[in-house]
Amino acid sequence: MSGFEVISSGIFTLLQDKGRFNFTHLGVTTSGYMDEYSAFFCHKLLENNKDSNLLEIAFSNVILKATASTTIAITGAKCEFFINDIQKSIWQTHRLKKEDIIKVGKLLEGQRVYLGVKNGFNIKKEFDSYSTTIKESLGGLNGQQIKKADFLPFDSFNSILNRRVKNKYVSKYSDELTLRVVLSYQEDSFLKKEKDKFFNSIYEITPDFNRMACKLSGEKILSSRNGIISEGIAFGSIQIPNDGQPIILLKERQTIGGYPKIGSVLNIDCFKLSQMKIGSKIKFEEIDIFSAQEKMKKFYSIFS
Amino acid sequence: MNIKIASVDCVIIYFEEIISKEISQKVKSAYKILKDLNNSAFIEIIPSYNSIFIKYDIFKYDFNSIKLFLKSSLADIKEFENSDSSIINIDVYYDKEVGLDLEIVAKNANLSIDEVIKIHSSTIYDVYAIGFLPGFAYLASIDERIITPRLKTPRKKIPKGSVAIADNQTAVYPKDSPGGWNILGKTTFEFFDKNLDTLSPILIDSKIKFNPISKEEFISQGGVI
Repeated sequence: MSGFEVISSGIFTLLQDKGRFNFTHLGVTTSGYMDEYSAFFCHKLLENNKDSNLLEIAFSNVILKATASTTIAITGAKCEFFINDIQKSIWQTHRLKKEDIIKVGKLLEGQRVYLGVKNGFNIKKEFDSYSTTIKESLGGLNGQQIKKADFLPFDSFNSILNRRVKNKYVSKYSDELTLRVVLSYQEDSFLKKEKDKFFNSIYEITPDFNRMACKLSGEKILSSRNGIISEGIAFGSIQIPNDGQPIILLKERQTIGGYPKIGSVLNIDCFKLSQMKIGSKIKFEEIDIFSAQEKMKKFYSIFS
Repeated sequence: MNIKIASVDCVIIYFEEIISKEISQKVKSAYKILKDLNNSAFIEIIPSYNSIFIKYDIFKYDFNSIKLFLKSSLADIKEFENSDSSIINIDVYYDKEVGLDLEIVAKNANLSIDEVIKIHSSTIYDVYAIGFLPGFAYLASIDERIITPRLKTPRKKIPKGSVAIADNQTAVYPKDSPGGWNILGKTTFEFFDKNLDTLSPILIDSKIKFNPISKEEFISQGGVI
């Protein structure tokens, strides 16, 4: 069979796609790529279908051995990347032949590397998606992260596909980020002085940062309400729990929840957030819904 | 009805801001109308107690046009009637050995354990929301006599299949999970089942009744104490 033998898996390597949307009414989270920008660029390089899958790699030391020829692409976090011990560039495609060994070493800037293969990995979708959600045991290989000795099947590919992302499109990561926010949900339960505080403070990313949510610390924000009736939660929504410290809800958030929300970070800014490290500084900036929707359309048009 | 921004590509429709059977039925009627539209621009629809959340395709609608579209689609919500939805009967082994809080609930209510069981199992429950965990259905309303607050300290692990109550709601834990609800008994009924195409036999418009069974029956159904 053609594919990758997993020689070393890294601690947290997941098969992902754009997410599982048809079962949220039953409490099933969407999951999906934390950084769609890098993931979609990876597929674009490979001329893959946008519904395809790839590996999201959050820790170093992933070593894979190809059992057939293929073309791969690698995007996302700046990392040390080797083919047969020779260092190679990322944000581009690479041809592999049988027996080639690839290695994702240290992550230098950013938190998540995206590694795709031409035509995607040959696995079955589970409930309409390849996305792995470990807590639900859904998707990927048996609903789990990739482990040593797993096999990642792909169809061998022998044609030439040689592409690289233009430098200006390659993500750069720093330790400061401004997130654009549309006011939403219970925003009217926050007095003007609370909103002013929220938009004029600098927050810090705490260690409570994972695929589910990103908890910040900084200036306390008060809602005039303690709790609300549980309701559907959007990607990027900013919950203000009773301790006043904002929580940005991400891809593996619960589907419904009962904390007041002041606004929602633009999806396309959450993708940047997902590459930030703990301790980074976060600022918020208000944007109106129509400009926000234009920005989103512009973003997704790159990949259509 | 009030339609608000939930995020750049999501809206939320609020009905009145209370939890009641009447509002829940409005939600269910509206949810059914929206589902029946089969509109490919709706990416997710999540009904809850008094709201419906929708993620939509912003290449097809902007916030203004989705708002108009939803308003006109839902202009005429009829009272929801799920007469065709049959009652789902769920066998429960109610006993202290699996219902760790039966005694406390009974004491709190000034009733005997048998009375608590009888009261809990004689109501037909409506689903008000599904979430927290996949297949976790919030069922209401339980009889006022057995209303019990959540545990002060949640348990680290509530076993899968536990039938529990908190405030005026009841639910079945679809898998092992931390939780603060009062456990009355246990069932082998699967609320989240990967063998089903629908993933869960319970939907927002389901009606549910619990049926007390003996330990022997519970064991014969594959129940584990």
